[in-house]
Amino acid sequence: MNALIRLELVRALRNRKFLFFSVIYPSALFLLIAGSADSKEKMDGGGLTLPTYMMVSMASFGALTAVLMGNSERIAKERESGWVRQLRLTTLPGRGYVLAKTAAAAVVSLPSIVIVFVVAAALKDVRLDAWQWLALTGAIWAGSLVFAALGVALGYLASGDAVRPITMITYFGLSILGGLWMPTTTFPQWLQDIAKWLPTHAYASLGRAIEQSQAPSAQDMAVLVFFFVLFTGGAAWLYRKDTLKA
Amino acid sequence: MDAMTTTAAPATTTPVVGFDQVTKTYGSVRAVDGLSLRLYPGETVALLGPNGAGKSTTLDLLLGLKPADGGTVSVFGTSPREAIVAGRVGAMLQTGGLMDEVTVAELVKLACSLHPRPHKVSDVLARAGVTQIADRKVNKLSGGQAQRVRFAIATAGDSDLIILDEPTTGMDVSSRQAFWATMREQADQGRTVLFATHYLEEADAIADRVLVLHRGRLLADGTAAEIKAKAGARRVAFDLEGAIDEAALRALPFLTSIDVSGQTVRIQSSDADATVHALYGLGVYPRNLEVAGLGLEQAFVAITEAEEAKQS
Repeated sequence: MNALIRLELVRALRNRKFLFFSVIYPSALFLLIAGSADSKEKMDGGGLTLPTYMMVSMASFGALTAVLMGNSERIAKERESGWVRQLRLTTLPGRGYVLAKTAAAAVVSLPSIVIVFVVAAALKDVRLDAWQWLALTGAIWAGSLVFAALGVALGYLASGDAVRPITMITYFGLSILGGLWMPTTTFPQWLQDIAKWLPTHAYASLGRAIEQSQAPSAQDMAVLVFFFVLFTGGAAWLYRKDTLKA
Repeated sequence: MDAMTTTAAPATTTPVVGFDQVTKTYGSVRAVDGLSLRLYPGETVALLGPNGAGKSTTLDLLLGLKPADGGTVSVFGTSPREAIVAGRVGAMLQTGGLMDEVTVAELVKLACSLHPRPHKVSDVLARAGVTQIADRKVNKLSGGQAQRVRFAIATAGDSDLIILDEPTTGMDVSSRQAFWATMREQADQGRTVLFATHYLEEADAIADRVLVLHRGRLLADGTAAEIKAKAGARRVAFDLEGAIDEAALRALPFLTSIDVSGQTVRIQSSDADATVHALYGLGVYPRNLEVAGLGLEQAFVAITEAEEAKQS
């Protein structure tokens, strides 16, 4: 299985487009949004400056991109091409394929998180304690597993031409409505009421709680756990269905 | 089976593959219908049948890719999955995709590292004839090249059973011949080889046993020569002068079909010697007498036609 993880990783690192969107793009977007903002001024309704706020948003967005886009389209494509069937004729255990994909995506998502942090600290003077940097990295990295599971589920749910639009709608929907691109406080009230139940919203809130040295809210944790169980269960169910069909 | 079954292996030998009354249904279609068969060590067996005969489904059941609806499938006396995990089976599927955006060498290396008894990567590449394209990306290969890469993956380790589903699809004539030479090497090393094909000449030339599959059932099981015999597979042709008594000809022993056009008579016979002997007994004087074997292809058509006639 390590051999497959290695090869998946080699392939991901060779894919310039994927690397650009998951590693470089979030940092670029961070600079675009936070570039002209004052590094000292607090945002309304919170104790965070705009760069600090957007740093967590973009690190979460980058991790989301790496694990969601990396998994769903590839799995759908490889299910169709028969590579998944071919792998079933090897000693690789059934879940090995999905685990290898997720592990490779996690390796790519780590630099996408760290690069946003480095850019924010170096160019926008974001200052946090050492434990906060570590906790943030760990929380965003671990939290991305929720979306890795979603990517796997989508890869087994959709096929052919449907997988890209479905992935894109899910990806942009979760990013925008979850408040990764702009604070949800700018939304109308009814949309805010929906947004606070989205996993991306809870995901970014987790990071912001760490930035403010607060304990994460119980609601956010519950939302993340709920979606993790939902996506993992869904992925496992779809995987089994696909295995019987293939 | 009937007397045609030549593979009389000793009863103590565990069959490499054992199908016992295996059934697989898709909706109302019985893709595999009460199939029983055994393969023994060292055999090279062709699974022959037209499209839709159930060849691919049979191989999927054999490899554990699909569960059987009824009956049992065993490989080396265990479940297909256990045999695969033990590294005893190497397989090349018609629908087996390849990981793209990696090189041929990287992919073969992966296949080797997933096998419990791997061969050396360079040996596997050389044997499959893909050393020259080892650095090429998998998604840039031609159909024939991709087939050889699939073969490399199927032979990445020291497996005892090699399964090949339509392996020469997309290959030109010369690479097809080279491919079968490579595959014969595998058989000569004592491996059991099972390949599905509808290239009938391949089954004839390569297999020491041919299984004819039709509508999910085993129509015939024997050597290519026996399959031909079963189909009435010798052709007798001759010319007669004057009026031809077709009824008398039709009554000839072992005759399976007759075609009279002008003065020329063409007969298919399951025992040409006896038919010709009886022909002279009719008191006629056949000229330009020819007795020839049928190709497996014609034999195969004859078997399936006979089966379809029986069913309708």
